[in-house]
Amino acid sequence: MIWVETVVNGMLLGGLYALVGLGLGYAFGIMKIVNVAQGDFIVAAAFLGVFLVPWTPVHPLLVVVPVAIISFIFGILLQRLMINRVLGQDQIPQILLTFGMAIVLRNGMVELYGANSQSINVGDLRFMGFDFLGLRLGVLPVVILGIAVALFAGLHLWMRHSRMGRIIRATADDYQVVQLSGVDYRRVYGIAMGIAMALSAVAGVLLAMRGSFTPYSGADRLLIAFEVVVIGGLGSFWGMFAGGMILGVTQLVALKLDPSSGLMWGHLMFLLILFLSPNGIAGLVRR
Amino acid sequence: MTDLRPKLAGIAALISAAVLIAAPHVIGEGTLRYVVEIFCVFAFAQSWNFLAGYVGLMSFGQQLFIGLGSYFVFMLSNKLGLNPFWMVPLAFVFSGAFAAIISPLVFRLRDAYFAISIWVIAEIVRLFIAQRDFFGSVSGLPLIATRGMDRGTVSMWTFYCAAIFAFLAVFGLYYLARSRFGLALAAVRDNERTAASIGINVWWTRFAGFVIGCGFTGAAGAVYYMSVFQVQPGGAFDPNWMVIMLFIVIIGGVGTVEGPIIGTAIYFLLRAFFSGTGNLYLLLLGAAAIAVMMVSSKGIWGVLRDRTGIDLFGARRTSGLDTQKKG
Repeated sequence: MIWVETVVNGMLLGGLYALVGLGLGYAFGIMKIVNVAQGDFIVAAAFLGVFLVPWTPVHPLLVVVPVAIISFIFGILLQRLMINRVLGQDQIPQILLTFGMAIVLRNGMVELYGANSQSINVGDLRFMGFDFLGLRLGVLPVVILGIAVALFAGLHLWMRHSRMGRIIRATADDYQVVQLSGVDYRRVYGIAMGIAMALSAVAGVLLAMRGSFTPYSGADRLLIAFEVVVIGGLGSFWGMFAGGMILGVTQLVALKLDPSSGLMWGHLMFLLILFLSPNGIAGLVRR
Repeated sequence: MTDLRPKLAGIAALISAAVLIAAPHVIGEGTLRYVVEIFCVFAFAQSWNFLAGYVGLMSFGQQLFIGLGSYFVFMLSNKLGLNPFWMVPLAFVFSGAFAAIISPLVFRLRDAYFAISIWVIAEIVRLFIAQRDFFGSVSGLPLIATRGMDRGTVSMWTFYCAAIFAFLAVFGLYYLARSRFGLALAAVRDNERTAASIGINVWWTRFAGFVIGCGFTGAAGAVYYMSVFQVQPGGAFDPNWMVIMLFIVIIGGVGTVEGPIIGTAIYFLLRAFFSGTGNLYLLLLGAAAIAVMMVSSKGIWGVLRDRTGIDLFGARRTSGLDTQKKG
């Protein structure tokens, strides 16, 4: 039974990991941009969450809403003022630009907040649990998984059925041809980056509620996001979700077997999947 | 008129070699150690520049090879009681071999995904070493073999090792870039299909470039940690190495021999100027990298070269006709 519980907990954690990867994968799928600063933006969103929680009415969990809105606006500004200027055939300038941002953000946060470990206080919710089919589960992880599933499904439906979603997908397919229909692809890229940032920010805040973080956590977050995206098969929503699940379960099971190296086994699992299927899970299904 | 630059570069190489050989007999031990650090960091940066600018492979995990090279030398030297200086060439072979083993896996990924997959491997190796007492776990390993040696001799040989890598990072890279292999690398970097169509084996060319670049990083990493007599997983596999390499290459100009020389100078000046301010200098490094990317992705040397037409170590060959027209 303890193993079932570990696997279920791994899946609860995995949903959140999938959400961490979603922002990165979304930006890549649409703009072919790999935002290397994503991990540090996730941490910055967590700090913003810590800052805003005392002013959040009703329940601390709702702090994700203002953080997501601020990150959305920030993402648009970031894309329009900086990243759009280095777009081109060559991917190296974009990657290096975001790498520079990552360094600035990380060290700026160390300067401002110090290197201590922090977390977002959600009150009693953090310790509440319930029994389900004989398993003891936490309320917060289940709520977080619910938020992750809702965001995945919502984004999927929005991309498929809304007008803006169609425009974004068309721009992703060919940003030159959409200009013939009067679409300003730079504007679309801005909105897409805003969405990517908002998604990452939600993931960052939720991670900070479940566990703790320091200004240096960005690197680990980026690695998780990246592994989720690659395991899932670049750009596939449901592949990413499965990727998060695989990583979450691997980490918690490995942590049970080998308490000192759960993280390492997560990384190894990533390499194994890469070895077996270079196009990730989505690649396996498509074949 | 023929192109004089290769001959000038040859003369410059001879003069530099003479200066480097004489240096440890003239400079004091403290300064020597500082120069060793500068040379090693320069060699790291130049090896990353070689991979990103000449081979066309951008990696965010080169700290992996710094750690592998240094741990290889420390382990071998401590366990077998061997002179670590003779292990440095083997560190090149070991790091290169490791790169060769992982390349079939990481070459399946492109661009940033390739870059970060090597970082993932670096994390795996770091976590693996940090948990094994055999490798000294978190607290790392001291270098035992040099304790019995004469201090002056040790610092002189460390300097020579570092000097060889700094020398190779300038002149070796120059000759490599102009060689048949270097031209094949450039062709693969610029356009795979065209390169394949003129009979270049794309995969093997890129593979060879990757192995050489990573082996070089590993050997230079070994020298760096030999100069401080102590290696720890947290330091040797620190992603901040990557930050430093990137900064130096971006600021100076990726894909040029001269750029990282300028970048290294700026890095050490900034560090000396802002020493004691903690993270502030790292923050400035990041901001400077952003600024350079926004203005011109070619870096300082790239811009200077385009403005002035000076191209000291360029791989581009000028034909006699061109020079005459200009003159």
